[in-house]
Amino acid sequence: MMSFAQPTSTGPLAPHDFGAAGWTKADAAHLLRRAQYGASAAEMDQAHRAGPAATLDRLCAIQPESAEFTRADDLLRKTALDTGSTANLQAWWLHRMLRSANPLAEKMTFLWHNLFATSNDKVKDVALMLAQNDLFRAQALGDYGKLLHQIARDPAMLIWLDGNANRRRHPNENFAREVMELFSLGVGNYTEKDIQEAARCFTGWHMRDGEFWFNDTQHDTGTKTVLGSTGAFDGDGVIDICLKQPACPRFIATRLLKTFVQPEPDAATVQALADCIRRHQFQMAPVLRELLGSRLFFSAKSRGCLIKSPLDLILGAERALVTAPRLEPTARCLEELGQAVFLPPTVKGWEGGRLWISSTTYLLRANFASELAAGTKYGPLMDLDAQAREHQLLNASQAVTHYTGLLLASPPDAAVLARLRAFASDQAAPATRDRGLLHLILALPEYQLM
Amino acid sequence: MAGSRRIFLGQCGTAGAASVGVSLPGIWQSAVRAAGWLGKPGTSGRVLVVVEMAGGNDGLNTVIPFADDAYYKSRPVLAVPKDRVLKLNSAVGLHPRLGDLRTLFDDSQVAVIQGVGYPKPDRSHFRSMDIWHTARPESVDLRDGWLGRALERDPKALAGGVPALALGSEKLPLALLSGRVNVPNVQSMDAYKLLPAPGDQSAQARAKQTLREAVALKATEAGGELDFLRRTADVTLTSVDRLGEVAKAYKPGATYPETGLARKLQVVARLIAGDMGTQIFYVSLGGFDTHSRQQPVHELLLAELSGAVGAFLKDLKSHQLADRVMVATFSEFGRRVAENGSLGTDHGAASQMFCIGPGVKPGVTGAHPSLTDLVDGDLKHHTDFRQVYAALLQNWLGYPAEPVLGKGFQPVDCVKI
Repeated sequence: MMSFAQPTSTGPLAPHDFGAAGWTKADAAHLLRRAQYGASAAEMDQAHRAGPAATLDRLCAIQPESAEFTRADDLLRKTALDTGSTANLQAWWLHRMLRSANPLAEKMTFLWHNLFATSNDKVKDVALMLAQNDLFRAQALGDYGKLLHQIARDPAMLIWLDGNANRRRHPNENFAREVMELFSLGVGNYTEKDIQEAARCFTGWHMRDGEFWFNDTQHDTGTKTVLGSTGAFDGDGVIDICLKQPACPRFIATRLLKTFVQPEPDAATVQALADCIRRHQFQMAPVLRELLGSRLFFSAKSRGCLIKSPLDLILGAERALVTAPRLEPTARCLEELGQAVFLPPTVKGWEGGRLWISSTTYLLRANFASELAAGTKYGPLMDLDAQAREHQLLNASQAVTHYTGLLLASPPDAAVLARLRAFASDQAAPATRDRGLLHLILALPEYQLM
Repeated sequence: MAGSRRIFLGQCGTAGAASVGVSLPGIWQSAVRAAGWLGKPGTSGRVLVVVEMAGGNDGLNTVIPFADDAYYKSRPVLAVPKDRVLKLNSAVGLHPRLGDLRTLFDDSQVAVIQGVGYPKPDRSHFRSMDIWHTARPESVDLRDGWLGRALERDPKALAGGVPALALGSEKLPLALLSGRVNVPNVQSMDAYKLLPAPGDQSAQARAKQTLREAVALKATEAGGELDFLRRTADVTLTSVDRLGEVAKAYKPGATYPETGLARKLQVVARLIAGDMGTQIFYVSLGGFDTHSRQQPVHELLLAELSGAVGAFLKDLKSHQLADRVMVATFSEFGRRVAENGSLGTDHGAASQMFCIGPGVKPGVTGAHPSLTDLVDGDLKHHTDFRQVYAALLQNWLGYPAEPVLGKGFQPVDCVKI
């Protein structure tokens, strides 16, 4: 097992001191809910037993996959390629998100997909989308700088942002604009002139026969000035310039914080993580190891404060409660809730946060809760009688404590607990009681948070 | 008349009381009584239906300056021939596919407000739409919209219920966003249902009741994520129940065309007839971004608008509800005066708005902007869209306009007072 040199950050990113109370089960659950798409009771127990250092080391390094997983993965991948269907491609990835031994790597793969948001609606080629996804996965815990260079040559991206339209005499700004606005710096850190000049650098970066092709007859070899640097830059030159901007690590830091820690990180926190990113030269594994083990991450303010994306909501519930999740209805529900993977709504990706929630989506989330608890559409629920025996859920109160602990990021208000207990105490058999209880917990506003 | 409002309300009062009893928050009823809303006399019970024409409607081919040769010079292919224009006066007329609107115009139910826009027009769909939704051209503050801010001044809306409703969108339109009032959006009426909980009927009823109580609790941190989620969940469960109730008794009093907008407006008519107390409805018709081969697409869209609004007002009239309802249309921008090289038009600036219903001050308001005195090839606006919003808020709905829109927006004279 790989481990990293002692983190050197101070301030919010200093390693969290678990103090006298030690590493609790709630701490383990908090870490797993953020670092993967939900967690089962067994995973929480295991992480609790293993301790924080071992758990973080495991999550932040690539682990070997089981033979069983690899067989299923190969089959789903082959099916997606053979059929060329987006639905099958989605099923392949959702299986990975649910079952891979590298859950954090899958979450980071999605973070890259959301950052470099490319839709098969326009690309219309499952093999190219899959190749792009492999690229994201190869750098999931790896090197953002390398990925930024690679994505500029990625065939799916070249289709998505009109690479072939970018010609010497008629530069197309589409990719150059997004490299700065959405992929590395963010609005306010470049000028329109920088984009025009950068577009010239990417001229002739074309695609032919499904592969990157440097079309030198269409490349503008002249001198350009981008973000204050002057030279006969090509696309790689622009990307190196972007990576050197102070705004770049801040941009990546903001994305990491909003995904893993807090919805509205303050400027000092962003800067602290940006410094850490710079120090680690955009290597994600050591950055995540520091971030997810930090004082900031385990502070009270960072708990239960993120609104779950549909992926977090649905896969999280399935991971915790369903023995064999059914991928096709899962993908359909994700689409209804607005998060069809491989089909982001725009090049901005999914904006997330409160935008996930409207009355229409809340209703769909509540209906997901009842259909999941019914145990048919999304796959069979775990054996609730066996769970009741194993965890000694002898009465309503114990059942409420156990299942809110499993599913909710923070203990609910006393008023909510009282209502859940009253509901559960009216039921006779544990299985009936707990199925109803699970539905209610999953439909609560509290369950929308992690 | 079978569908009259009085009879319907009578039915609702008896049959509806038991089933609605739980869903109608008591606090709402008492707040209305206590506040004696609505603010401005004579505006009680009025309804505004906003129709968004998304994509940038070609205003020049909607209200056509047929008497101006510059129009025919700028539009050699796309111009509508003079003899086909549905003339409103000696200068302008409607596109021939706006027949129902023309009938309503002749019946004194249409106000055409010409030359509407805002300073330094933005030609990005996203940005310009945000500007129309927030009514804040000078800022990128997207925390709330103009209708959301208006609702915050309404004690009834603050107390709950369904003060406004968006139909047909997955996301709530920014115009209706507010930090304090949650507005439901209904993407599809058929799907807007709460599935029963697992278990027998009694377990289902208890689960629903428990959920309703849990989401109605006040969160400790006002304005925090849990507060936001609870308020959304609360308005969701309330609106599901009430929409389910009002859906039952309504019978349409007009034949609606088989179009998306007509279906949405029919739902609006049903909800108005059901008297849920909803004052603002929001629907969208998309597809106006006609960069190439504009003519067939644009004609269909205008026909969809006209046919849907025509049937809607006819339906409302048959239920004796039309007097309470005003429809207002807008688009994020008009299009260039000159057509482009691919039989279409590119993003422009000023355009017109329609206000429709018996409550309008009918006629054509304001001159058509000059087709020769242009800015970057675009029409100049002479009326700020916030002046139209001010008329809708203040003179139609009875809300104060200034706290919502800021100072200095003299209402356009398009509402009968």
